[in-house]
Amino acid sequence: MSLDARGEVFSDEQTPPLVHDEALEGTGTIKQIAGKSPTQIALSRLRHDKVAVTCSAVLVFLVLLALFAPLITRAFDIYWDISDPNAPEVSDVLDFDGYPKIGPPFHPFTWAHPLGVAPRLGYDNLAYLLYGLRTSLLVALAATIASTIIGVSLGLMAGFSRGWLDRVISFVTDVFLAFPYLLGMLALAPIIVSRFTTDLDALARAQLITLISILVLFGWMGLTRLIRGQVLSLREREFILAAEVIGVPTRKILFKELLPNLVAPIVVSISLYLPGFVAAEAGLSFLGLGLTGTPSLGKMVADATPYYADYGLYLWLPVGAITLLTLSLNLLGDSVRDAFDPRSRR
Amino acid sequence: MRLKRSAVAVATASLLALAACGGGGDDDKGSGGDASSTVDTENLGNTGNGMDPTRQGPVTIDGAKAGGTVTLLTSTGWTTPIDPTDLYYTDTNAIMSSLVTRALTQYDYDEDSGQMILVPDLATDLGQHNDDYTEWTFTIRDGAKWETGAPVTADEVAFGIQRSMDGKTFPNGPGLYYSNPYFLGGEDYKGPYTDPNGQQQAVSVDGNKVIVKMAKPFPDFPYYASFPAMGPIPTDPAVNDPAKYAQHPLSTGPYKIEQYTIGKSLTLVRNDQWDPATDPARTAYPDSYVVKAGGQEAQNDQILLADSGAGKTTINYSDVLAQNYRKMNDTGRLVVGGSPCTYFYALDQRQMPDKSIAEALTWAIPYNDQIVASGLIPGVNAIATQNVMPPGIPGREPYDPVEGHGPFQTDPAKAKQILTDSGHLGFEIKFLFATDSDTSVASKDTLLKGLEAAGFKATPVASTNAKFVADRDDVNGDINLRSYGWCSDWPSGSTWVPTLFESTDLNEVGFGTNESAFNNPEIDQKISDVFTLPADEQPKAWNDLEKEIMTTYMPVVPRYYTGVAIAHGSQIEGMSVDNTLGMPTFRDIWVNAG
Repeated sequence: MSLDARGEVFSDEQTPPLVHDEALEGTGTIKQIAGKSPTQIALSRLRHDKVAVTCSAVLVFLVLLALFAPLITRAFDIYWDISDPNAPEVSDVLDFDGYPKIGPPFHPFTWAHPLGVAPRLGYDNLAYLLYGLRTSLLVALAATIASTIIGVSLGLMAGFSRGWLDRVISFVTDVFLAFPYLLGMLALAPIIVSRFTTDLDALARAQLITLISILVLFGWMGLTRLIRGQVLSLREREFILAAEVIGVPTRKILFKELLPNLVAPIVVSISLYLPGFVAAEAGLSFLGLGLTGTPSLGKMVADATPYYADYGLYLWLPVGAITLLTLSLNLLGDSVRDAFDPRSRR
Repeated sequence: MRLKRSAVAVATASLLALAACGGGGDDDKGSGGDASSTVDTENLGNTGNGMDPTRQGPVTIDGAKAGGTVTLLTSTGWTTPIDPTDLYYTDTNAIMSSLVTRALTQYDYDEDSGQMILVPDLATDLGQHNDDYTEWTFTIRDGAKWETGAPVTADEVAFGIQRSMDGKTFPNGPGLYYSNPYFLGGEDYKGPYTDPNGQQQAVSVDGNKVIVKMAKPFPDFPYYASFPAMGPIPTDPAVNDPAKYAQHPLSTGPYKIEQYTIGKSLTLVRNDQWDPATDPARTAYPDSYVVKAGGQEAQNDQILLADSGAGKTTINYSDVLAQNYRKMNDTGRLVVGGSPCTYFYALDQRQMPDKSIAEALTWAIPYNDQIVASGLIPGVNAIATQNVMPPGIPGREPYDPVEGHGPFQTDPAKAKQILTDSGHLGFEIKFLFATDSDTSVASKDTLLKGLEAAGFKATPVASTNAKFVADRDDVNGDINLRSYGWCSDWPSGSTWVPTLFESTDLNEVGFGTNESAFNNPEIDQKISDVFTLPADEQPKAWNDLEKEIMTTYMPVVPRYYTGVAIAHGSQIEGMSVDNTLGMPTFRDIWVNAG
């Protein structure tokens, strides 16, 4: 194994699998990279990847927009929800047929509503977009964290335990893989609504929590299988066997010996989960199954489709935001995988 | 002529029979002020009340040419029955009675007044009645034929009328609301299918005369006689079997059914047995009609906007979408008209301290915002209201239920003042909305804002589309504001005041149609009194009674009358709006291929 000066390229023939690293370090055969963990190597590769840097910048920008949504909307004096007491009357911004009275598509640009006003509903597009972005990121992040924790724990347990526990977990994984999550959401949506009929804030919270739960419920299986497979092969390696022989407690083996070797697949799967959940949230909300009291990019797409012919901007805004978010998450994910997987190269 | 007979109103129950409304007819739809100036709101809501018993066929239109195929598009399903006895929705009613099935009477469009006029159909006149309207005699005209070539006989008309009393076999039909309650012995006779051995006393035949005896006075019978249920049905049990006949009702009109798939399509072709000389209203210029149901609204609009190929001879009888209104209106191929419906908020009278809540609500409702948010077009298909009864009802005089309140006027400050003065500031209004309908959510948002600005405490209660009507009609439901719509079956105050304000037994039958749970024995008595008045005094009496109820108790807050905006292709001629149904005037349509 050799590294060039910038630590960027591995030679082909001798590239050991990443999981070797601890054992290799133990043997001390590679002096020149001693002390550099695989994560550090990967990060240094990422820093030199133009796509990764660009995508990270875009993502940071989007996250900042989402974080500062309240400040931005206050600065512009705009509202995503027309029932906000300070928001303008619908009739002040909309014509009799639902098209905006000010701004696009029929009137010139105005700073009062930089991205226009939503037809029929009268909310400000910029404000809705920012809060929708917030929801998207929140849902995707929460679902990713939860799915990863569940997936990794179950995968570790299944892979390491052997015997009945492994079989049970594998069976449950298969069952969940076979269950169509769209159907689950279709069945759950009306039940939740009927449960919280009068408390709309509770309903909005319940819908948010349900949406995240559903995404997690049907999202953890891939990672569980991946981790289980990895653990199955790691388990038979010398350093694990040695640890077992000298009587290291199972907990320690799992978290101190196995987990560090699983960082790469976990990071890669996180990078794939995030854009997947962003798209899933948008899709479900587009179908009216996700969120109703919370702004969502998917809902904005659904609102905008009937107006596409005359008011293209209204549709392009949420579509653009979703595309930008998922595209940069995906590309960054690709780069992360490349960086962590020494066998791939650009 | 105009007011004489329709003025006599004894009916007690008129059913809202609107398929064109779509869904449960309950979507929260408000009304708005700044409508486009091209709409004549004066005539728009006029729902027709004329009569002409002497009209004779054949009818021709100057310059009209025969030929062509007219395509009818709609986004609603065409899932309701077309068996004449079981037919009670505006879209099926308009198409079947204008083109396929004949009844005793029918409506014809009057170009001068823009209204519909009741004229004879299979009968030679609009019926002869005895002094107290308990016996009606119709003479069946000669020359009317079935599509098989057999003549239409008085026996067959009598059988058709008898058939309408079979509420169990025809649960969708109008018979339950008119035939059984009004016909002599109708409450006991179960109909020819449910009770084959039963003896009915209501309908008898004398030569070419059909005589219908009533259990109580029924002066509006000529209007009821225009329903397809009051037409002939073959007496051969093998032919009139309800399950079979529903698939292919036999034609007596200018077109017969070539193909019919429920919920999807209907193809009508010429019936050469129909003799125009026997028909005082139908013209039948096109060679055929094709109904295509269940398409996407946006797609249907695009077909009409593009106006190419078959689109030139197409009518989309579902309303144009708000976002396409301007473009469609610019093409000059958009026809607007009225339909006899009023949407209102019913305040649960069991929970209202006094009238001030309704008055404050009248000022608080953001009419315009709500209509726009729910995708309607103020002044086009949601027209400013004052009275509960829509224009065109005989005897109707415009008045303001709340003094000084103009049509579609919203003033939260005034509402707040009323609430403060009456000590009800912060009164809680609880109303339903469907979380899975964006129009319902949007309309909820605007109402919520309007109510809070006016000093109410507003509590929206979540429901879903599927459960909405059941939740609303639950008498024990925890809401006190119910959105409701009502349409008259024919122009008469008797289909409005008793239906909406006569007390019902809440425990036994629920709201019925009295959605505000208004229970006032004094008003009940006054309603009974109006029925005993001479026929020509009743229209004014109904209007006076409505005004009294609304100014003294105000159980409902009117929101808007409905209108329709129907687009047609460039080669369609003669299309106006039948404002008794809110549908195109199919009897007068022809194709101008150039």
